[in-house]
Amino acid sequence: MTARTSVIPGLALATCLAFASPWSVQADEAPPWSEHAVKVHVDQSELRGVLSLGDLSSLIDKGRALFEARFTSLDGAGRPHATQAIIPTAHRRPVEHDFQRLAGPDANACSSCHNEPRTGGAGGFVGNVFVSEGFESADFDTLDPQFSNERGTNHLFGAGLVELLAREMTADLQAARTTALDEARRLGEPEKVALASKGVSFGSITALPDGSIDFAGLEGVDPDLVIRPFTQKGVMTSLRQFTVNALNQHHGMQPDERWGARWTGTDDFDGDGHSNEISAGLVSAMVAFQASLPSPQEVEPDSAEWRKAAVRGREVFADLGCTNCHRPSLPLDSLGFSDPGPVDTAGTLRTGDVEAPAIYDLALLDWAKALPRDAKGRVLVPLFGDLKRHRIADQRQAAFGNETLAQRFVERDVFITSELWGLADTAPYGHRGDMTTLDEAIRAHGGEAYEAGKAYAALAEKDRSALIAWLKTLRIGE
Amino acid sequence: MSACAKTVSCLIAVALACSVGALQAGPAFAETPSEPAPFSADTPVFEEVAADAGIAHSYDGPWEFFVGGGGAAFDCNGDRYPEVFLSGGKNPAQLYRNQSSAGRLTFEPIPIGIEPADLEKVTGAYPIDIDQDGNMDLVLLRVGKNIVLKGDGACGFEEANRHFAIDGGRDWTTAFAAIFEPGAQFPTLAFGNYVDRTAPGSPWGTCADNVLMRPQPGRDVPDYSVSEKLKPGFCALSMLFTDWNHTGEPALRITNDRQYYRGGEEQLWRVEPERAPRPYRRADGWKHLSIWGMGIAEGDLDGDGWPEYALTSMGDTKLQVLDREFEDTPAYRDEAWDRRATAHRPYTKDEGKPSTGWHAEFADFNNDTALDLFIAKGNVEAMPDFASFDPDNLLMGGFDGRFTERGKEAGLALPTKGRGALVADFDLDGSLDLLVVNRGGSASLFHNRGAKSAFGTRPMGNFLEISLNDPTGNRDGIGAQIVVRVGKKTLTRTIRVGGGHASGTSGFTHLGLGVAERAQIRIQWADGEWSHPYRVFANSFVLIDRGSADARYWYPQRRNAAEK
Repeated sequence: MTARTSVIPGLALATCLAFASPWSVQADEAPPWSEHAVKVHVDQSELRGVLSLGDLSSLIDKGRALFEARFTSLDGAGRPHATQAIIPTAHRRPVEHDFQRLAGPDANACSSCHNEPRTGGAGGFVGNVFVSEGFESADFDTLDPQFSNERGTNHLFGAGLVELLAREMTADLQAARTTALDEARRLGEPEKVALASKGVSFGSITALPDGSIDFAGLEGVDPDLVIRPFTQKGVMTSLRQFTVNALNQHHGMQPDERWGARWTGTDDFDGDGHSNEISAGLVSAMVAFQASLPSPQEVEPDSAEWRKAAVRGREVFADLGCTNCHRPSLPLDSLGFSDPGPVDTAGTLRTGDVEAPAIYDLALLDWAKALPRDAKGRVLVPLFGDLKRHRIADQRQAAFGNETLAQRFVERDVFITSELWGLADTAPYGHRGDMTTLDEAIRAHGGEAYEAGKAYAALAEKDRSALIAWLKTLRIGE
Repeated sequence: MSACAKTVSCLIAVALACSVGALQAGPAFAETPSEPAPFSADTPVFEEVAADAGIAHSYDGPWEFFVGGGGAAFDCNGDRYPEVFLSGGKNPAQLYRNQSSAGRLTFEPIPIGIEPADLEKVTGAYPIDIDQDGNMDLVLLRVGKNIVLKGDGACGFEEANRHFAIDGGRDWTTAFAAIFEPGAQFPTLAFGNYVDRTAPGSPWGTCADNVLMRPQPGRDVPDYSVSEKLKPGFCALSMLFTDWNHTGEPALRITNDRQYYRGGEEQLWRVEPERAPRPYRRADGWKHLSIWGMGIAEGDLDGDGWPEYALTSMGDTKLQVLDREFEDTPAYRDEAWDRRATAHRPYTKDEGKPSTGWHAEFADFNNDTALDLFIAKGNVEAMPDFASFDPDNLLMGGFDGRFTERGKEAGLALPTKGRGALVADFDLDGSLDLLVVNRGGSASLFHNRGAKSAFGTRPMGNFLEISLNDPTGNRDGIGAQIVVRVGKKTLTRTIRVGGGHASGTSGFTHLGLGVAERAQIRIQWADGEWSHPYRVFANSFVLIDRGSADARYWYPQRRNAAEK
């Protein structure tokens, strides 16, 4: 042993750790005081088929540990030579600061923002993030919205159910498309079909005999008919895609499944000296954790007065037409959450990328057992949403359209319906997280919801208060 | 190369001695490029399924059919699945209807409806809608009279030489290209001819002239009654109209076989509107290059809008990059060695002998955004100084601009004598398949099954397939450039008729998108006008009609209920 290492053995160890394979320093080999934050290992190839409750719980625990991990430079945090873009993109020059609040990396842990009322929850205004469609101008140093859209942090409770709903709705819509095309080809004439799933209308499409589609009547979903339920805008397909994007953008931790050598030619795309920063198995653990976060609930208040007001509030909610978009529940056929999922595309692990996907059976979890079911045995997911995009701002009421950039082909004043479950625990409100009260948020509805917002404003104070009383019963829960 | 008989193989060997020696002794090249990182992107797995898919066809025949051996992939019945037409040399050419479904390639031979004798002596074929009626026509290159077949939209054809006033000539035709000149209602056609066997002293130094046919203006139907000779001809084996200088005025590039010309070279012809074609000369900056030119591939490897070219030959392949230091001159430097694309000897079972390259085509076989290079390989016939086992190349493009040979891993290392090839997505699953016409043996149909994985195969990157329609003329957008933006990467493709080796494809233009979920498309139509951007989702087939506000999504027809 050299004199140096004999004098400072810890330093020598740390040096070795920094340049060795990440896996060699994780879990078992790392001392308790290690400054590595990634301390778990998950072998993706061992995740297949339906996981037992024990295996699923273990995976969820690892996912929670990663979700709460404050990634360090020893793990590969930071991306000196890569931008926040969702497509691997190299900086024109190394970044000046390891962290910065605009282009990122802007957070140490997922839970740095997703933490209210607890891990997996929403974030206050301090946790706002910036989404940018730009790929080369990553070092913007201004808040000018021409460069980015500022967004509040959503909570993730019930997210597994949301993704499952989206997958089933996607399958419904795409099956309708296939049938329409078959008919148009068979009959030799246009075939117009209404698109709907779980009671939510997405307008119509017209299949043409030549095999193409006229999407002029399409509403609230992209032309590929993929329901993208995540983010304020509704442009993320899956928890997995969201996780892969966020790990790079917010932490500079680059998942192999997009930034690895398969797609970039290098296993250290961000040039920080750390290869293979986040394996597919680790992403799976994070997905399992998020997918298994309990569904928010409607909680009966202790106060009799509040209970009474809430009853009236829910009536008001319906009377105003809020349920047209904020559907109280959507029926879900299956609680089997396959990961990787069926809809993702290259760069997010796909079903075809593995020999067999893992199935996280949410029905094994206690909170899921308590979910209401309909006569057909379908779970009624109480999300108060429709997983559809709507124009929610216009010249009459532009508050929700406080952006100037379209995002991923979705116009600036169009957003997915916010699910209201958990609302009481996730203030502030609005896409930018800059509305401090529910009253402000309701009044801010424009576009398709303008009349509802206007009707709310015209209510008697007592009814407005009752509506707030009811909304305040939508809790993340303990 | 070369249609050389066994009796002249020794002469060829002598002629090649120096260059072959150089090839074998690697250091004779420029400084060896640094060792690249191991190829880490997907290698497609090609499964040879010709027999199972219903294709049993062989290109064969005497000396005249040592070269040629091409075919055409095109949709002749409107379902957008590409049919296949294969030349046979002494054997009859054959048309196959595409009955494929996702995951399974299926073809059935169908009659083409013309005189059987006209289907013999065919060396190659190119699809093009000559009369702009919306139905694909077919140009048959032959030893003897070339024949143009007019399609009826239901895979029926009739000979149209007289209808179009085309003189099929009596030459030994081995190359073809077409372009729409400014304002023209119909395409300009170029035919490349090989050795004039009737000339005194043939075959040495007796290359036939090439022919340019321009449609006569003011006619309702194509009228090619007036043609022009492109003199001198240097035994063309491939030709391509190409916008080499990004001016919107394509020139005609011809690769020629040095085996038979005297004083010849590679050629680039100016084809300016209403002017006689003129070759670029040294004074214009054109650098003399003499190779056994057999195939041309055009591709924009770096996304800058200027095309690069792969030229196949005996021995090393050339990879030509415009030398921008010489402004506005067609000066090219060869980067094949630096980019590891020489492919000069077999990559497996190498006995130290140079290989023989024919069809070349750039395409993205693994959908990772980088262009790959396919080269059909095969001994001319039985030339002892060249590799007898000479497998086709699959040079996979890397993100550093260099190539890595993956033919063996991909399943292409077969003991065949490749000639022409068709690169097309035959089952419309988003991955490019490959059909290789082999001399003296069955054609190979390689079904792209995806990327190799520990458990079999897995899907590759995202893709986009685009079809253009210009209702104002030039329906299929020949000469138009498709520019696709993903992230900050620009991918370009140009709609061409020509190149390769006696083989052409039409239909969807395929691009790999890597991990991009969305893309933005702009079209620069052949007349130079740019479209507005079209936003599309990945893994789609899109139809772009000139002037339309949106791209239309198109979906392959289900041929069984299990397909989605």
